[in-house]
Amino acid sequence: MLNHGLENRAFVKLPEGVDIAITSAGLVSRSYAYIIDFIIRTILIAIIATVLMLFGDFGEGILLVMYFLISWGYNIFYEVKNGQTPGKKRLKIRVVQDNGLPPNFSQIVVRNLIRPADMLPVGYFLGLIVMCFNPRFKRIGDWAAGTSVVYEEDAMSRELLPDGPAERPGIAFSTEEQLAVLDFIERAHEFSPARRQEIANILSKPLNIEENDSVETLFNYARYFAGQNNINSGSSNSESKQ
Amino acid sequence: MKQTQFVNLNSQIWQQFQAYCELNNTFPEDFPKLYRKICNDLAIARARQYSPLLIQQLNQLVQQGQKTLYLSRKNQFSEIWQIARSAFPRALYENRVMLGANLLAFWGLAVIAFIWVTLYPDAVYTFLGQSTVLEIEKMYNPAGAVQTATRDPDKDILMFGVYIYNNIGIAFQMFAGGVLLCFGAVFFLLFNSFYFGAIGAHIVNVGFEKTFFSFVITHGSFELTAIIIASAAGCQIGYALLNPSQFTRSYAMKKAAQKALPLIVGAFVMLVLAAFIEAFWSPRGIAHEIKFVVGAVCWAYVIYRLYRGMRYGT
Repeated sequence: MLNHGLENRAFVKLPEGVDIAITSAGLVSRSYAYIIDFIIRTILIAIIATVLMLFGDFGEGILLVMYFLISWGYNIFYEVKNGQTPGKKRLKIRVVQDNGLPPNFSQIVVRNLIRPADMLPVGYFLGLIVMCFNPRFKRIGDWAAGTSVVYEEDAMSRELLPDGPAERPGIAFSTEEQLAVLDFIERAHEFSPARRQEIANILSKPLNIEENDSVETLFNYARYFAGQNNINSGSSNSESKQ
Repeated sequence: MKQTQFVNLNSQIWQQFQAYCELNNTFPEDFPKLYRKICNDLAIARARQYSPLLIQQLNQLVQQGQKTLYLSRKNQFSEIWQIARSAFPRALYENRVMLGANLLAFWGLAVIAFIWVTLYPDAVYTFLGQSTVLEIEKMYNPAGAVQTATRDPDKDILMFGVYIYNNIGIAFQMFAGGVLLCFGAVFFLLFNSFYFGAIGAHIVNVGFEKTFFSFVITHGSFELTAIIIASAAGCQIGYALLNPSQFTRSYAMKKAAQKALPLIVGAFVMLVLAAFIEAFWSPRGIAHEIKFVVGAVCWAYVIYRLYRGMRYGT
């Protein structure tokens, strides 16, 4: 299982006998989501208040009921729907059970009713402390409900590896090294060409290749590691990969 | 098998699976089979140390499939009523020890406060400010305007809102406070019980008991019991943290929360009922005798249901 120790991944065992990796959302993204939700709630209540204030005592009574429903029910309502409040949706995070499944109703109710305990003594201080002391960033409500907030994986549809010639490297690569090369090549489009070159050049000396073709050579190596068997001809790669 | 061969062999199935996942709320019959196949592919890809991107993609496919396959039922808000109807009595039974302790604590301290303030009328000022006491005296003064036949209906709605917002908010806060090793819940519970006992005795001392008790008796049955139940629910979680027995603290807490949840849902329904009674029935200027009879019926019902729940879970 590849884990560089760079990503904060939790591996969850599924009943299907396989582990999946989920990445827990940290303090900052959750805070941003909270602030967005807070603003939405405030605007909502302000609008309702302006309308209902026209109706005197009657309106004020209804307003209090609405205020109660919104302040306690806002999170529950949205999280029951799909695990995401509008703020969480914006930040691409979602509430899941500890095992990565969508949470059920009772868990969502628990995690939101325990919220006042997290808010003690002021401004989510206690929840923050608790979050800092566990790798999955659970606040007290998450502990009680058995939920956590995780990043939603983006739907990925890009090519695994661009087609091209494959080349057998002159020296033997260990599995780890092969994976490092593959990882670099697959993420190469995220770097600027200059940066790509700069990283690839680190390997040019030990691999004994020209500095100028180091990126191209690494691409070829990666295709070789991935098993594209068109070492000589460039024509047998007509089948697409995705 | 090399990665490229593996991808070429399976990519069509993966694409099809992805398309299935994007269907809303429905999936074809062979979906579970496909899902297991994807899980298998992920395991293979990991074991053969294929490239990280491929593993990540498969990981994401599994996550999507899992979400689709295990999707919880829709429209779960109707569950509130379900929980209050059937899970609530069972939870009363399951949490009966904690509930008994809370009932005893509330009524015990209320009686102590009542006796104390009856014997030493001035003691009420040591806990409550003079202005608060005067306010309350004014509210229940038989000559006052709280319980009249002519209360504005708009005022009823306003008070209904206040009761909903305030009382249910307190119950929820007690539930949450209980997590802090019971402190939050017990503090609110004892504070309310002492307050209630002291005020009750003070009202008797100044001779306004008829207006006071005829006002509180009906909704008090649901309200006070619900507050005690909410406190017990919170304490259940806090106690699981203190004494997790053979389990880890995190699991014990999770278990206790699921056990206590029907209690807080039941308390919620009871408090909504209490708010209706308190806003629309209690302030009516009806003969005290009728109110006492209705109040007694409510108390009998609540006590009967509480007894049935704690004894038999029905």
